[in-house]
Amino acid sequence: MTTGGGPDLEISRAWLVDPAAGREGPGEIVVRDGILTAVTWLSGADADGIGPEGVVVAPGFIDLHTHLREPGNEDAETVASGLAAAAHGGFTTICAMPNTSPALDEPSVYVRIMGAADASGSPVELLAHGAVTVGRAGEQLAAMGELADVGVVGFSDDGSPVRSAPVFRAALAYAGALGLPIVEHAEESSLTKDAEANDGYVATVLGLRGWPVAAELTAVARALAILGDVVLDEPGARLHLTHVSTAVSLDLIRLARERGLPVTCDVTPHHFAMSDDWVAGARRWAWEAVDGTGIARDPWADGALVAPPYSTSVRVNPPLRAAEDAVACLTAVADGVADAIATDHAPHTEVDKAVEFGAAATGISGLETALGVALAAVDADRLPLLRAIEALTVGPARVLGDRTRRAGSVGLVEGAPADLVVFDRTERWTVTTDALLSRGKNTPLLGMDLAGRVLLTMAAGRIAYEAPDA
Amino acid sequence: MTIEAVPSVAIPAVDAIPGTKPVPWRHRHLLDVAGLSAADLDLVMRTTDAMREVLARPIAKVPALRGRQVTILFYEASTRTRVSFEVAAKNLSADVVNIAAASSSVSKGESLVDTVRTIEALGAHMLVMRHSVSGAPYLAADTFGGSVLNGGDGWHAHPTQALLDLYTIRERLPGGSLEGRKVVILGDLLHSRVARSNIWTLTAAGADLWLCGPPTLVRGFEAWAGRGAASGRRFHVTTSVEEALRDADVVMALRIQRERMAAGLLPSLREYAARYGLTSERLAVARPDAIVMHPGPMNEGVEIAADVAAGVQSVITDQVTNGVAVRMAILYLLAGTHADRSGAA
Repeated sequence: MTTGGGPDLEISRAWLVDPAAGREGPGEIVVRDGILTAVTWLSGADADGIGPEGVVVAPGFIDLHTHLREPGNEDAETVASGLAAAAHGGFTTICAMPNTSPALDEPSVYVRIMGAADASGSPVELLAHGAVTVGRAGEQLAAMGELADVGVVGFSDDGSPVRSAPVFRAALAYAGALGLPIVEHAEESSLTKDAEANDGYVATVLGLRGWPVAAELTAVARALAILGDVVLDEPGARLHLTHVSTAVSLDLIRLARERGLPVTCDVTPHHFAMSDDWVAGARRWAWEAVDGTGIARDPWADGALVAPPYSTSVRVNPPLRAAEDAVACLTAVADGVADAIATDHAPHTEVDKAVEFGAAATGISGLETALGVALAAVDADRLPLLRAIEALTVGPARVLGDRTRRAGSVGLVEGAPADLVVFDRTERWTVTTDALLSRGKNTPLLGMDLAGRVLLTMAAGRIAYEAPDA
Repeated sequence: MTIEAVPSVAIPAVDAIPGTKPVPWRHRHLLDVAGLSAADLDLVMRTTDAMREVLARPIAKVPALRGRQVTILFYEASTRTRVSFEVAAKNLSADVVNIAAASSSVSKGESLVDTVRTIEALGAHMLVMRHSVSGAPYLAADTFGGSVLNGGDGWHAHPTQALLDLYTIRERLPGGSLEGRKVVILGDLLHSRVARSNIWTLTAAGADLWLCGPPTLVRGFEAWAGRGAASGRRFHVTTSVEEALRDADVVMALRIQRERMAAGLLPSLREYAARYGLTSERLAVARPDAIVMHPGPMNEGVEIAADVAAGVQSVITDQVTNGVAVRMAILYLLAGTHADRSGAA
């Protein structure tokens, strides 16, 4: 320990992943007094025996979409518990969604949660999206300029879409002039009234009210159409579509980008790795739920049902889709159509989940399992490791217009405060309620083993998480 | 599993106390029919035969569930299913507790989990429940220490209805086999738990199953027919009544509810009756000895004409009678596993 008080650390013979430099390989890092003083790439004999399957060092992850429940529902999550969960998951920057109670629709709520972050002592960086409309009611624009002044990084009515098309158009233009994106939850609500599960085979068999793919596609198409209109007058307008869950939506987004529209998007780990088979009781990854031709297999036919049906842990908005859609989401991460993996971390209390499926709160607690789920896709050769890490770091940073405190240096940068995660791909860990630091234990992964135990997370040159026995 | 032991327990055992005779039944709950094997279905049918024999006695009562408390918890209005379960339980000498919840647990404030815990604390051994939310019995089963019988959940399942329908069809078809027989379910498939449960049991029995209704009310079933075919659950979906009814052996009409008009799924009851109602003219294209079924309650003149419902081909009252016997059989079989597990006599 040096006089500055920051930690010292040396990791030799690890696999370094630096998507900012587009590089991965054997290497060593040295942290002195919290500063990443040396990043050394090894080659030749020095690199012998070091592979990507062992200890990995990567830049700290950035989550574009985190629900903290403070203020209003601290039983489900506080700012402090959310930041602890983030660090455990390897995240060093998270963006809080504004659907708290009251909503983050004016600066005082922002000041309050930032105060809670400071008081927590966590070095994890908390950013926040402001609401698009007052009370997220979809009618009157929130205090967007004032929110931009205090530091929000985007605007979203997430949990709900911005229902009114004219309000959405105005918000895109107004936010564009402020240099900030609208982060849209794309859902045509008239098609999802009382909906319970992805409209399709599984919902039909289980008698659940269908949540159609068309509800997302309709909203994505509307948002892109309005964006095309708005950019003619306000070239700064930017749209980010969050938790995209269907192949057809991704096709449309790909097309819009080819046409030059300023649109980005993210997908969640649960939407690229799980399918609606999980509602029926399957627990196999989406890429295992399709046959050789990419068609979803029948979970009732091949012994895939290992858990009881109707687990509320898989009730989420948007719903888990057919396996073909999930695989399309994963492909979008791999080929870059999805800029980022975002967790949509949505902690809930047991009380809000221990009810009938259709009455249960929607959402999955995801900060601490995102890496493990992504690594499952990597292990299955469905996603290159470098691309997975890029979608957790550089990708979301770009969506944020580099508005993190690491501005312009989301990588393993010598001379900067250490901001990194160290995980061991040879070590698996079991997802249990005790293992999760989030107050939200609502994940269908409980009891399952995930690869890539996080050994250490450093943020702003300080230790944010350290495995007890590491 | 083997079913060789079945004949030795089927008829005589119903007079005995459960747990004193082994029953080859391995399910603690009856939540769905999807998990029932052909041997399970056969056992239910044989046990129902035994219960029919009990019902034919001057005093239709056996001591099989003596000392057992059966709680009937219905979150939806029902007459025939609730009373049928109650009569079945009483015929087996169970103590019956009836709870009619006026609305769902969600809107009443007390959670289903808390309600089930209370029922268990009050001494229930078996819980018969009906709920408007699909899957709710699974939540109850996860909490309750005894056996849960699904008396209908949302659009999902109505296991005892499917079993009594299977029993009734087997009873009426020559030879008692459904293999290759054309069975038609006509009406509002989308919202029907009766239809969903019948899909499993009728395809398992080898029927040539046809689902028929207006396009808005058969939505999603084509996907089921396509994916399920791989595992032998073959059926056809059509919007043509003519195609569905031609040469049918069994026609089951489903209830149409007025809410479907408000939801924009149908123009009017009048139009439904004109295009999809089961009339004697339509029935004429079926086989002359075809039987007509309805799970009730009926809207006569809408999904089924009054003369068809009351006609010689109708087995609707048989369904009601068989419902008691099937529910006695299920209560009996579940009580057997319950006794084995707890060690109680």
